[in-house]
Amino acid sequence: MSPQTHTARLRDAIASMTETTERLSRLSQRSYQNPYTAVEWPDAVDPEGQWFGSPELLSLYGTPSWDGLDEPARRRLAFFEAVNFYSLNIHGEKSLMEGLASRLYRKDLLEVSDYLHHFLDEENKHSIYFGGFCTRYHHVYRSRQLPFAETRPRDVEDLLFFVKTMVFEEIVDVYNREQARDGRLEPIARFINHNHHVEESRHLVFGRRLVAALWEACAPGWDAATREDVREHLSQFLVASWREYYNPDVYADAGLADPWEVAEAAWAAPAQREHRRRVSAKVLTFLTGIGLLDKEPVDAF
Amino acid sequence: MRSDEEVLAELRGWVLGKARDLDETALTGRTPLFEERHLRSVHLPELLLLLERLTGAPIDVEDLRPGDFRDLDTIMARFHARERA
Repeated sequence: MSPQTHTARLRDAIASMTETTERLSRLSQRSYQNPYTAVEWPDAVDPEGQWFGSPELLSLYGTPSWDGLDEPARRRLAFFEAVNFYSLNIHGEKSLMEGLASRLYRKDLLEVSDYLHHFLDEENKHSIYFGGFCTRYHHVYRSRQLPFAETRPRDVEDLLFFVKTMVFEEIVDVYNREQARDGRLEPIARFINHNHHVEESRHLVFGRRLVAALWEACAPGWDAATREDVREHLSQFLVASWREYYNPDVYADAGLADPWEVAEAAWAAPAQREHRRRVSAKVLTFLTGIGLLDKEPVDAF
Repeated sequence: MRSDEEVLAELRGWVLGKARDLDETALTGRTPLFEERHLRSVHLPELLLLLERLTGAPIDVEDLRPGDFRDLDTIMARFHARERA
């Protein structure tokens, strides 16, 4: 494929998004939020007396470590895992905001720039909620993601940026949806999960449309090695994203001995492998359906 | 604490599991892991978790530079030697 054909295909792909992004922008304007007034924060929380995360979604559920915890210890673990879940959202959104900001008003993305403003604004607000919880009641857990730069052609970087965003958000959304409905959880935890789910539903529509459009426009012009590089990168990204749910720092705070060994055992536990497969199923079905992935990323399961 | 040999064996096994283009005999202590693209930045979170587990100590990512992961010898010197000191 000539560079001119490639550019024209990309332009057409972005142009095909116009109707979707205009509709999403109208919805974003209608539900515009003030994160400083939308929520009343409790003065204090009781990690051993209240649930902040659904037990069935916790990283030790179904493992021998879980069987060894009594009810208050399970709630305590759920609290620190909630803080970890919010923390990994903060770290993910930091990278996302950087990527969105750098693409604002880029010539070839002009037709989606209005929506990128909403996307950026909403991600910042989500981080205010997540950060509000973490800093009031514990702290933001560190990330092990390292921002070491790699150089790839711009169209490859664009696809990887948006598809990684989509994968991250699709997984998070399963947790948000299920925890927003869980009547055992404290109202503040249900609010944060529900609010994020409602907002992210627009981002997910945008992500699916854009990823499919970019892949269809760009992949035919790439050689086999580039397509394989994209697939390998995405598969390992899925592993890295899931690994963050098994955070030894959380286990240490929850009072578990040998937190790194706990993390490793939980990662390998059959119940947790099945959990990751269930939660990832929807996004992986989408990615294989458009041909972006050609096999299951086995290392993640 | 694990011995040098145990740590190196686990590291080698992990690298070979990820760098499927890399033959076991071709992986030496000086093989450039990232420069020759056997590993990519997206592997680093998992590598850091492995190093923390093997050394039993957290690693502050804000102190890290790309050169810290150049090859197995460098990784061993940077992370395992630090914990033995």
